[in-house]
Amino acid sequence: MSSDKLIFWFEELGQEHNNLVGKKCANLGEMTRMGLPVPPGFAISIAVYRKFAEETGGAEEASRYVSSLGELKGQNVAIFDELSQNIRGVIEGKEVPEDIKRLVGSYYEEMGNKTGIPDVAVSVRSSGTESRPGMFETYLNVVGIEDLIDKIKKVWGSAYTSRAIAFRVNKDIPVIGDELGVAVSKMVKARSAGIAFTVNPVTGDTSKIIIDANWGIGEGVVSGAENVDRFVVDKEAFTILDTYIGKKAKQVITEKRGAYWDDVPLEKQSIPCMSNDEIVAVAKLAILLEERLGEPQDMEWAIDPESIPPNNVFLLQTRPAKVAAKKPESVTDRMIDLITKRFYSP
Amino acid sequence: MSEKKQQKVKIWDAVPGYDFIKEIDIAEMPSWFQDGTHSIPPVTPMFGYQWARYCGHGLKFACTELSIPTCKGWEIRILNGGIYCAFHIVRDRKEIAEREGKFRQALRPWIEGFDSLWAGYKQELLSIYTKLLELDVDNATNLQLYYHNYDLMHAYMRMWEIHFMAMYSSFNTWLLLEAMTKERFGISDQDPEFQDMMRGFNNKVYQMDKKLWEFGQLAIEMNLEDTFKENKPQSILGKLQQSEKGKEWFKKFMDYMKTDDVGGWRMRRFTDLNEPYWLEDPATPIGLVKDNIMRGISYDLEATRAEIAKRREAAIAAFLSRVPQEEKDLFEGIIRLSGKASSYSEEHDLYCELFVHALMRRGYLAMGRRLTEQGTIDTPDDIFMMNPDEIDRVMMIPESHDMRWITRRRKAAWKETHKNSNPLVITNRASIEEAIKLDLLPSGDAIAIKIIVGEMPQPKPELKADLWGICGCSGEAEGIARVVIMYEDLKKVQPGDILVCPSTNPTWTPVFGLVRGVITDTGGTLCHAAIIGREYGVPTIVNTQQSTSKIKTGQRVKMDAANGAIYILDK
Repeated sequence: MSSDKLIFWFEELGQEHNNLVGKKCANLGEMTRMGLPVPPGFAISIAVYRKFAEETGGAEEASRYVSSLGELKGQNVAIFDELSQNIRGVIEGKEVPEDIKRLVGSYYEEMGNKTGIPDVAVSVRSSGTESRPGMFETYLNVVGIEDLIDKIKKVWGSAYTSRAIAFRVNKDIPVIGDELGVAVSKMVKARSAGIAFTVNPVTGDTSKIIIDANWGIGEGVVSGAENVDRFVVDKEAFTILDTYIGKKAKQVITEKRGAYWDDVPLEKQSIPCMSNDEIVAVAKLAILLEERLGEPQDMEWAIDPESIPPNNVFLLQTRPAKVAAKKPESVTDRMIDLITKRFYSP
Repeated sequence: MSEKKQQKVKIWDAVPGYDFIKEIDIAEMPSWFQDGTHSIPPVTPMFGYQWARYCGHGLKFACTELSIPTCKGWEIRILNGGIYCAFHIVRDRKEIAEREGKFRQALRPWIEGFDSLWAGYKQELLSIYTKLLELDVDNATNLQLYYHNYDLMHAYMRMWEIHFMAMYSSFNTWLLLEAMTKERFGISDQDPEFQDMMRGFNNKVYQMDKKLWEFGQLAIEMNLEDTFKENKPQSILGKLQQSEKGKEWFKKFMDYMKTDDVGGWRMRRFTDLNEPYWLEDPATPIGLVKDNIMRGISYDLEATRAEIAKRREAAIAAFLSRVPQEEKDLFEGIIRLSGKASSYSEEHDLYCELFVHALMRRGYLAMGRRLTEQGTIDTPDDIFMMNPDEIDRVMMIPESHDMRWITRRRKAAWKETHKNSNPLVITNRASIEEAIKLDLLPSGDAIAIKIIVGEMPQPKPELKADLWGICGCSGEAEGIARVVIMYEDLKKVQPGDILVCPSTNPTWTPVFGLVRGVITDTGGTLCHAAIIGREYGVPTIVNTQQSTSKIKTGQRVKMDAANGAIYILDK
């Protein structure tokens, strides 16, 4: 691959491009290559950020500023907020060089052609070389080149959220760090979305898939703030072992632009937000991922109301699942499991 | 046409609402399986009605509460005094999956604390029974008896709910152990290696047996040995009243019958109301004391039990030594819980069926006496020819009603049913095998498969046996066959006989100490005969289907129980 290429279609990427485009983009590339149902899109390499930061002088400015502050470890947390505000101000205050704008614009236009939607709505996500869940910003339902450029800049700046700065300081990683690639994907304006774990993150039980789901797009689940639906699916039999229907009062929806919290209509609050077929489809997708990637996964998925089942389930992203503690299952659990599977599974 | 109509009226009439009516019931459920364990001899209309209604309810209750994934409960009907069952099988996979999730949750408390749950339910039942006993049935007003009819039915309903909750949750473990030992170690639940792990538990049945044995020892100490040895149970009672020692012994005995939490509230016959309970006719338990005395002092129940328990622990240890290290905890847990299933199976009758049936007999007989006094029916036990709704109708003003046209006709019909045997399966499927495959096995119902219908015997042609059954307790035996259909005939059994019967129940337990072997027509590896056979170490073959009709009393028979093979030596 030519070293001066700055932006890549997902299908041009794989795991080996981690350092070039960041983990998320490399993963999306890998997924696309495997033929998994990933929304189409392109990756803005980390080099593009470096080019921006150098050409605009933003990098130097930020560096100077941080050096002036001296030792940060052990300081009051208020310092991180201040630091964040200032550095993000520096980055977001710079004008993106014309050649970068044009380059991004050409890919965006091409994406419009490919999808048949001019000014196609996209999601704009950070893609660092290290996995740092929840540290950086994501922008949803971004429409038009102006908005896209603005949001790319904001994602770059989000390397300096107070939580990311605090994390680096506490881990003895330089404050100036986490240069980010950016993943630009076609926005799935989901009817329902959520996450799926191929391992129980609490007990370490690997025999079941846990799906959390809500109406609207995945942010209504990922934020962890709302009461959502939970489905537990047996990995071998694909039977739904457990169903918990949460009272889903709020959802995140997308309209013309952006995404925001909204009330769930009363009649939809206490009914499952997905069909049993969809639950099984998500579970099968999760297992496929686990098998292909060779370890338990924590994935985000969405159901696109504009696609036709069974091809309406999209994979938004996946990462190795973090398990709190691997506790062996109790004898009781194993007995229940054996009895249920042996005698009552047709 | 007119003949067909008459037939309909006749069958509808026995247990209104629960009569098996082919045109209707087969259309609803394609296969009906005879509950051979509880149907022989034919049940009375009163009992059939109560059983169909409340045993059926208890099964639906437990299947719902435990959310048994593949079965929503049973339907029960009565045909010619025989009990027939059909299963509400869940066939939709999605529905099974949904039920399964709840089942896992509902099963957990039973696996974690079977003993304490069962202990709590026992207490609940005993307190319901205490309340029923508060009514002085002989001096009760008609209104009080009217209410008592409903109180009895409520008690019966609750008893069956509890009965099946505990039964479903415990039997699953037994099945699991059976499946795993077979698959992993080639040991079936008919093998002695397996059965030795499930024996020798201390439970109420054993405690009561021991108590009766102690009363025998007491009688010997009090020099009453000859009174027991020389007289029939019925006349022992009278003889005891003739001496001070005898009176003293009898008073102690009756104190136990009245003060023990179960005591004499124990039916002689398991599945009907038409025979007395122990307190009503102490000759039954006194006959058991006599049997113990006849066996002589060398027969030490305690030592036998201790020996079997010791062997059990050794068998468990031997088995566990074959289990891989990482699975030892799992197998041990399953073995312990399976032992509880076996023990519950033996003990629960005392707190469930036998007790509540005794109270029902007490209450309904009192109603029967009241109706007889007023000429509503001919004799008190004609009440067992009526159903609770009919009692409701006449109980308040019995003098205004004549029910004899119903009770006489039903009694005649009921007596007639004793002459014929009922089909094992009634189905519109192509064959019995297909009925079992389509309408029984998919229920996954442990109780149906292990007790009521039982597994089908697998003949081994090379052994050239005359009859085949399932091994309840392994061992070989040879002796004179004694065919016993009714409990009354049990007293004809001689030491060393081989008992041949439709099925057994806890009231038959003591005879296991007398015989060399037991052969039954019905049942599975968890039926009473199999469990008690194992407890007493008596070779037992169950589910032979036709032993009581093929074997004649007096014939010499040989049993090879491990192979389920029976040889008739005198043909």
